[in-house]
Amino acid sequence: MVQSKKQKYLFLAFCLVPTMIMFSIFTLYPLFNGLYYSLFSWSGSSSAAEFTGLSNYVKLFNDSIIPRTIFHDYFLVVTKVFGIMILATFFAVALTQLRIKEAPFYRIVFFFPNIMSVVVIGILWSFIYNPSLGLINSGLELVGLDSWTRPWLGSEDWALPSLVLPSVWAGIGLFMLMLMGGISNVSKSYYEAAEIDGATEWQQFWKVTLPLIWPQIKISILYIVITTLNGSFIIVQVMTGGGPNNSTHVMGSYLYQQAFQQYNFGYGATIGVMILILSLITVLIMQFFMRREKVEY
Amino acid sequence: MKKLLSRIVIRLPLILWAIAVIYPILWMFIGAFKSNAEIYANPWGLPHVFNFQNFSQAWNEYNIDTSVFNSLIVTVVGALLTLIMAIPTAYALERIVFKGNRFLFTLYISAMMIPTVLGWIPLFFLLMQLNLLDNIFGLSIVYAVSQLPFSIFVLTSFMGTIPKALEESAAMDGLSPYGVLWKIITPLSMTGIITVTIMNAIQFWNEYFMALIFLQSEENYTLALAIDYISNEAEYTNAWGTLFASLAIAIIPVIVLYAIFQRRISKGMTEGAIKG
Repeated sequence: MVQSKKQKYLFLAFCLVPTMIMFSIFTLYPLFNGLYYSLFSWSGSSSAAEFTGLSNYVKLFNDSIIPRTIFHDYFLVVTKVFGIMILATFFAVALTQLRIKEAPFYRIVFFFPNIMSVVVIGILWSFIYNPSLGLINSGLELVGLDSWTRPWLGSEDWALPSLVLPSVWAGIGLFMLMLMGGISNVSKSYYEAAEIDGATEWQQFWKVTLPLIWPQIKISILYIVITTLNGSFIIVQVMTGGGPNNSTHVMGSYLYQQAFQQYNFGYGATIGVMILILSLITVLIMQFFMRREKVEY
Repeated sequence: MKKLLSRIVIRLPLILWAIAVIYPILWMFIGAFKSNAEIYANPWGLPHVFNFQNFSQAWNEYNIDTSVFNSLIVTVVGALLTLIMAIPTAYALERIVFKGNRFLFTLYISAMMIPTVLGWIPLFFLLMQLNLLDNIFGLSIVYAVSQLPFSIFVLTSFMGTIPKALEESAAMDGLSPYGVLWKIITPLSMTGIITVTIMNAIQFWNEYFMALIFLQSEENYTLALAIDYISNEAEYTNAWGTLFASLAIAIIPVIVLYAIFQRRISKGMTEGAIKG
């Protein structure tokens, strides 16, 4: 290949520079600017911007809603991790190991909610929870459990747990597929050997399948944690808007309320910085605890 | 006998979950054909007559037609812009050796992990200054850039499978690097390009929160905003049938895409992580 250095660099610039400019303007610059905004008391119009140093952070530490939003976020993280991982692992194993003829049908159906819009999922589930015309209450009445009916999303105690079900419903397919990919890479010879040694299917699952798909499980858990901390506010916004009485506010929905509904942009940015820091710390801690020696046979 | 029994026991959760996924979606479609009175009186059953009144009401009175059009523009423009930016970058990062290659790749990929909500506040003011706030083309640009990391990630892995010899012989024959990129690499990575485009299109069609922040006037609403708006209205007007109908309108294109590209979509989803 005859090509001058100059030509090579021109071509490189053609490939990389326009994209990098767009990425810098619309992703990097806003992120760093967000850090900067958190030092201002700012209601939006530039004249009102006032440098207030760390006072937004002082406000953050004294804001009684903040610890609740953090608790709600981690409540969703933990319940989603358990709900999704237990069901997804079960389904993945059942659909790969057990020679079920209609497995492709389940694979297609279970994944479908993953491509639905969060706003559609949220509204659909708000209906399902609707006290007077929803499926859950009318189903409970149908089987005679009238005393169990309640205004699910309107109840301070039940609204947050009610958000877990739609999140698991919408998330399972993706992780089931990731785990199925992991299982299909496990060599058949391990199972043959285990069978010769007289291991039951249950033992095979614990001793062979689970250790060998550990990398996929680890990635899936990390991924659930990251997407929940970074994105659970969307389902919250659609289904409850943070209410009733702040009982479902997560960090992101509180940021939205502060910045875009009450126009406290500086304080909103401060909440954003907190989300960023908490996400990074969580991911680092998880990676430390989930280190595990590679299984070799 | 014991084996048969255990097979049934194993199948039971699969069947139950399949019902839990299908029934609510089906229920939504059935509700779209019911009158309001029927939705209250008979939440589980079929309507007496299937009427399309809810659809026409959503389409005409709640301006779903405008928002379908807006969503279509945002989706198509966003998906094209993503490709224009991602293909050359993915090629350079995958095939050209240069200082900083690794760094750039890591920078793009780590952007998939960072919570972007912090950036939305400054982005709001940036779009305002650029006169792109409340503008569906402004939203398309933001969407395209937001899917860059994912698209670059998937495209580099696809381009990695193209034999280097093909490019080299084309260059020997006098094709410029631009020609190689356009005439050799782009056609050969078409599978990857189609995969990311479907993924991005679904993402843009479905997106709700950025649209909520960056769009303001009703005539610019995307479908997600329009149904959110109808949903809030329905609290007061009880227009549940209309809401069901607009949910159905939002979901039908996704069902069609999924029916056609089911394998590609599930593969693309698992290969690159989607934000949201």
